[in-house]
Amino acid sequence: MIRIFCWTIVGLLLFLPGWIQAQEDFIPEDSVEFRDFLILQKEVTGLGYRFFIPEAQLPDSLHVDSLFQFSQTVSGFESRYFVDFTKAKELENTLINKGVSYRLDYIVLSEVVSTSAAQEYLVDLVRDADYPIKRGELKPTEDFVSLASQTPYSPTKQFKLKFLSDYRLFVVTVMIIFFFLVASIMIVSMLSMKAGKNKRENLQKEYGKRIIAPLTSLLFEKELHEIQEMELEEIHSFFPKNLLARPMYQHVLIDNIIGLNKKMKGDFKEKLKALYKKLGLDKISIKTLHHKKWDRATMALVQINEMDLVEALPEVKKFTNSTNFHVRSMAVATLLNLSEKVDLIFLRDQTYPLSLWQQMNYLRIIRFVGSQKGLKLEILFDSKNQSIRIFGIKLVRILGRVDLIEKLAGIAGGVSEEEKEEILETYAALGAYMETAFINDCLKSSNRALSLAAAKAAAVVGDSGSADILVDLIGAETVFRKKHSYLKSLYGVDKDKFAEVTLNNANPEMLELRNHILDPMLQNV
Amino acid sequence: MYSFLFYTILEVFGLIFLILSFSVIAIYLILMALSALEMRDFLRKNRFADYGDIVTSPIAPGVSILAPAYNEGQNIVQNVQSLLSLHYGKFEVILINDGSKDDTLQKLIESFKMEKTSYAYHPEIETKAVRGIYRSKNMSYRRLTVIDKENGGKADALNTGINIASLEILACIDVDCILSSESISRMVRPFMEETNKKVIAVGGVIGIANNCDVQDGTVTKYRVPETTLGKFQVIEYLRAFLMGRMAWSRINGLMLISGAFGFFRKDLVREVGGYFPKTVGEDMELIVRMRRFMDEKKIPYKVGFVPDPLCWTEVPETEDVLSRQRNRWMRGTIETLQLHQALRLNPKYGILGMLSYPFWSVFEKSAPILETAGIVYTAILLVIGDFSTVYFVALLLMMYLLSLLVSSFSVLYEQIAFNRYKDKNDLRKLIWIIITEPFVIHPKVVFWGLMGHIDFIKGKGGWGSMIRTGFKKAEDRKNLAEQTTT
Amino acid sequence: MKKILIIEDDLLISSLVQFRLKKDGYETHLVCDGNEGILAIDALNPDLIITDVMMPFRSGIEIIHHAKQSQPNTPIIVLSSLGEEEQVVLEAFNMGVADFIPKPFNPNELAIRVKRILK
Repeated sequence: MIRIFCWTIVGLLLFLPGWIQAQEDFIPEDSVEFRDFLILQKEVTGLGYRFFIPEAQLPDSLHVDSLFQFSQTVSGFESRYFVDFTKAKELENTLINKGVSYRLDYIVLSEVVSTSAAQEYLVDLVRDADYPIKRGELKPTEDFVSLASQTPYSPTKQFKLKFLSDYRLFVVTVMIIFFFLVASIMIVSMLSMKAGKNKRENLQKEYGKRIIAPLTSLLFEKELHEIQEMELEEIHSFFPKNLLARPMYQHVLIDNIIGLNKKMKGDFKEKLKALYKKLGLDKISIKTLHHKKWDRATMALVQINEMDLVEALPEVKKFTNSTNFHVRSMAVATLLNLSEKVDLIFLRDQTYPLSLWQQMNYLRIIRFVGSQKGLKLEILFDSKNQSIRIFGIKLVRILGRVDLIEKLAGIAGGVSEEEKEEILETYAALGAYMETAFINDCLKSSNRALSLAAAKAAAVVGDSGSADILVDLIGAETVFRKKHSYLKSLYGVDKDKFAEVTLNNANPEMLELRNHILDPMLQNV
Repeated sequence: MYSFLFYTILEVFGLIFLILSFSVIAIYLILMALSALEMRDFLRKNRFADYGDIVTSPIAPGVSILAPAYNEGQNIVQNVQSLLSLHYGKFEVILINDGSKDDTLQKLIESFKMEKTSYAYHPEIETKAVRGIYRSKNMSYRRLTVIDKENGGKADALNTGINIASLEILACIDVDCILSSESISRMVRPFMEETNKKVIAVGGVIGIANNCDVQDGTVTKYRVPETTLGKFQVIEYLRAFLMGRMAWSRINGLMLISGAFGFFRKDLVREVGGYFPKTVGEDMELIVRMRRFMDEKKIPYKVGFVPDPLCWTEVPETEDVLSRQRNRWMRGTIETLQLHQALRLNPKYGILGMLSYPFWSVFEKSAPILETAGIVYTAILLVIGDFSTVYFVALLLMMYLLSLLVSSFSVLYEQIAFNRYKDKNDLRKLIWIIITEPFVIHPKVVFWGLMGHIDFIKGKGGWGSMIRTGFKKAEDRKNLAEQTTT
Repeated sequence: MKKILIIEDDLLISSLVQFRLKKDGYETHLVCDGNEGILAIDALNPDLIITDVMMPFRSGIEIIHHAKQSQPNTPIIVLSSLGEEEQVVLEAFNMGVADFIPKPFNPNELAIRVKRILK
């Protein structure tokens, strides 16, 4: 790329002077040559010739000659105006023969000029490409290139003017219009968005201020049952009816009540929830559930969740398999949180893969509500969705459901390798000593990841059988990192065998690994 | 006949520049729109983000922070302390002393009661020799591991850390960066949100810490830097992160995440062989290689991006240091693009091959050359008094307006999303830089880019010679950085 | 009548607290951000300060610092949504605040604590 660029620059520098020279070099400066040149041209636009005889008397033969058409002036006689130089040249011979003294004048745009001025005029003409020069026959002896360089090549100019300016004009105009159009659309939309936002915010601030007084007095001066029993008219004395009908006011009320609910403790929470329903805000939340913008729908789910709107649960259930990640996460979270008895079937039937983020959120809720609601985690093992089955196994581990080990053992044989890894980790965490047969089977697996996971489990719950398999694996393993893992497990299962393997071995690697595993500072690395 | 040739060349160049100008305008407007959409979605999503659980949840992945250090003795203890106090559950800090010539290692050993362990180091990725791996018996420093190794450059140091890292996610950072205490939890979120696409890496925004107040690892008060170069970089970073990366991440076309603050999936990094130590653009090269690997294996994947302000760094404010940095960036770009020529317009690599690669080749790598050529071209037209000069001057003017538009929108995005520069005076200063930058600083940046090209051509004797120069550059950057800070 | 200064950016929360404390017969003053808070401490010379730790312009820590310097004997109650194990909260404790009330909170409980401190 650079090279092309450099050559282009060099090329341009070479071209420029030659090209300027080519414009002027071909008008002969010598007067004789100039005449020859003019003969060749015959007619040149704007250039004419005239004979002048500076004498008082003119031979009659000339006076009447219709070719000359002499007329008398103050200082002598002027011939007619010739356009063609060859004609003038022919008549000049007549004058020479008659022995009359004369002068040949060049006339440019009806003014008599000097020879050099006539030459300049021609140069200008040629430069502006107003006049194509005629030339004599090419002499083969002359250098072809130097001749060529004298050619002004006017067709280029014409081609350039027509084609170049046209398409550039077109493209650049299109571009400018496009640019300004898009730019102004963007600026205008930005400005209008900002203005709209400001207006909304101001209104929100205004409403926000207006609801403080009624909310505080209601919360402090009314008991819970009083709020529940309030008549519509009484409510309208706190929150004016006309304002309550405005969506923006409702929105501000919802936001503030929910915000307050998060920051309050005790009976205030109950009062806020009662008020939420009294004001009819629950209906708005449930209606927004079907909003086509996902963020609005998710917001509605958050409101339902925060305000314990149990009656909305059948509606919420419809969203557990929504195409939008946030909507379905929030729907599941709400269901887990609010359902009286949580039936995990809706989670089992979810078709989308469960992300770690969702698992984390669900785990928090399940941890919180799990004990009261008697969750049947084993339902998740039947899911057609692998990520859900894995989540089920994880839950057994994290919630410490030792009672489900038997169920796990029942499915362990027929599941995918990833699930097996998860089950192994669970066995280790829950101390499932009775499942060593499965662990030992996995240890022998040709799948490296599974075998390593089994080794980790064996370190905690392995038996002598595991130790024997590990010794074999260590002997056969060539990848250092894996050998390390197996050795570490062996150390966990059987310290004597570990000493035997690492000390009675010629391989210096073994000693290195032994030191590493025994180093107290590297325990958790 | 020569002038015919001349005109033909002018003609062809004119056409090329017209096409280029048009695509520049179109692409930047598209990028602006894409980033606006992405920003809107990000702000919406953030309303529902609850980071409360992530610190304690057993489901959150573990993070190994890799921080290479070379002659950082002055601040190393403080830097490591702030890394250790990050707010996250499962993480370790691996500090790699890359053969420092100062007292970096001694200071670490003394301050954190480090002792040499009998770690059996058998690397999967080849690195320079490791002299020792240190850990502490003190429980408060249980998260810290220090590796002392022979000097081998940043990529080599990171590779050593990758060999040792024990957790699932790698966070490769510059040790002198200021990290918000929330940075790990925010950056881990995209990894945790993956459903049907594997998230292979996540990039973050780098903020400029010059002239700002820092308290407990977070920037508490934003002020624009005092120098023109500093202020220019504020605009430039906003443009790059809030406009460029935001837009590219929307179409999953990110080719670069900052070497100073990037998170990766460890298994994959190991599988592709870690960083490539022979290039000066190791951060970009790794991402391109990882993406290429995923495309070749036909596994759906994603490179994530988190626009939250989480990491800040001091940027060079002297021309000398900045020019070296830009020169190095340019060489890194050229080297990466050269190494991965197979991607060029190859539909097999999807967006990476059809969009990202060509974009980087034309608008990042060749931009300085094309811009210079464009200016020279317009100058030639002016000299010969060609009629179409008017158009080209109009085009230049439009480019200027485009630059104003893009820069002001990135400042606007910042104001809408984070509103960090609260002082009206600061905003005024930034606007002044936006207006003058194309004349005052941009030509310099173009020149530094050109020098990067020239240096790349000069050093083209194979990758071997790159090691030493890469290391040397890193060294004198440090030296110069020290000069400017003291 | 005892003067209580409430520094809290959430107007609804501070109004609730104000309402509750007024009922107990205190003179209460509300400000919404850190800068105003510091000015108000000097201007009002309150008998008790209730402040949040996360606020616009000035952090609660700065306010506590200022109050401890200009009026070392005025007790301070910190009201915050941050947990007790947070760095900022620990810092506040170290600076000698009288009490810490985590959100979510019960305004009645707050009123009892205020009464106890001002006795």
